[in-house]
Amino acid sequence: MTLLLWSIPHWLLAVLLCLMLRNRAYKACPWFFAYVGFGVAADVARLVTHNHPHPYFATYWITEAGYDVLGILVMYELIRMVLRNLIRTWWGRLIFPAALLVGALLSGARAHAAPPQFSGILYYIVVGEIAVRCVQVLVFVVTVAIVLIFGLRWRQYPFGIATGFGLYSVIALLMTMKFSDFGTSFKFLWGRTLIVAYSFAVLIWIWFFSAPQKPDPELPALTPEAWKEYQAMLDQYLKFLRRFR
Amino acid sequence: MFSLILMWMLVGCGVLGLVTVLYFAWRGVPQRAIDDVVYFLYPVDSALLAALLDPATDHDLRWSLGPRHFREAQRRRMRVFGELLRRMAHNSRVLVEFGNALSLDDSFEPGFGSKLHEAAANVCVYCTGARLRLRVWLSLPGGFGLLRTPGLADLRKAADVDGVKAYDELRTAAAEAFARLRPDELDALTRGL
Repeated sequence: MTLLLWSIPHWLLAVLLCLMLRNRAYKACPWFFAYVGFGVAADVARLVTHNHPHPYFATYWITEAGYDVLGILVMYELIRMVLRNLIRTWWGRLIFPAALLVGALLSGARAHAAPPQFSGILYYIVVGEIAVRCVQVLVFVVTVAIVLIFGLRWRQYPFGIATGFGLYSVIALLMTMKFSDFGTSFKFLWGRTLIVAYSFAVLIWIWFFSAPQKPDPELPALTPEAWKEYQAMLDQYLKFLRRFR
Repeated sequence: MFSLILMWMLVGCGVLGLVTVLYFAWRGVPQRAIDDVVYFLYPVDSALLAALLDPATDHDLRWSLGPRHFREAQRRRMRVFGELLRRMAHNSRVLVEFGNALSLDDSFEPGFGSKLHEAAANVCVYCTGARLRLRVWLSLPGGFGLLRTPGLADLRKAADVDGVKAYDELRTAAAEAFARLRPDELDALTRGL
């Protein structure tokens, strides 16, 4: 039963990878595609080394570090896609570094208040993981705010990715905070809740990636005559509206 | 303790975000038709906008009027500019809805990839920044007696976005979006107007 529950997100990730390949979504979100591909490979590696403690230990922590790095790269990709136009402004370029800084500071402060029970490089991997979760929640909140402010429709790849990460990271942060309060007696529930949350996150991604995203149609270059025609048409509409009011 | 409070605030914001997404999923997408949208546009007078943001006009008024009269004239111009900003922000939102209406089918729309959305986002950002500054200026009725009355030309750029240029880009993007319609849809749009 435990093995079945443990393997659910892996199968879902494999389905997501197939969907992304079928819809050629790797062109739109290359880093997210790399993240999903890495997830599938990491799961296979963990499964292969499952009965060998030392290789499993090494594989687990190496793949965790890989998830951290790719998680940040996906967030960078998301911010670039969502704020593509605003990134031209000086303050738009600061959004991602600011989110990184806030995530790192929060994770550092949390590690200072309740130090993880690890040492050496593992300590930094765990602290980095909490920082990545904080960044993912921040990016999710920013995307929700953008949808609300600009009145956009939600069904787009970047928003789907942000929602999946947002759901998983909110629950992971919540569980991590409760874990440090309750200690190891909470471990069983902690592990299961995270698997269920991750499965839901992958289901959200599957739903968003189940249909191809339409490319922005390339318009033929406007000739001066056509441009004047459109301008006249627009002026006509505006004149009519002025009279209408 | 402080880090814990901040972490809880972050988690709270995330939960609010998730609730918002659930609300969107429950409410569904409003099925806007093209003729639902175009009627809601408010005209923005480009010539008036350019005149209000012209540094030469500011300079002329400052020189030709006394400080008190200039202050009064400038406050009137600020209110007119505020109304134009309100209309620009409203139109950008309506045009985003128009962009959404253009791609109402089963597949996913390009969203921010479209020029219309990008131009509308720029206008929205500019209007927010400019309205904030304008509100601060207008909320200082007596302050201008002591401080130098600000020039409206300073508001040509707000939040690092050139307002006039951004609105022109929005107009161009809207014209291109009109051009994307099929002839029968264009006819329907013209008839609806």
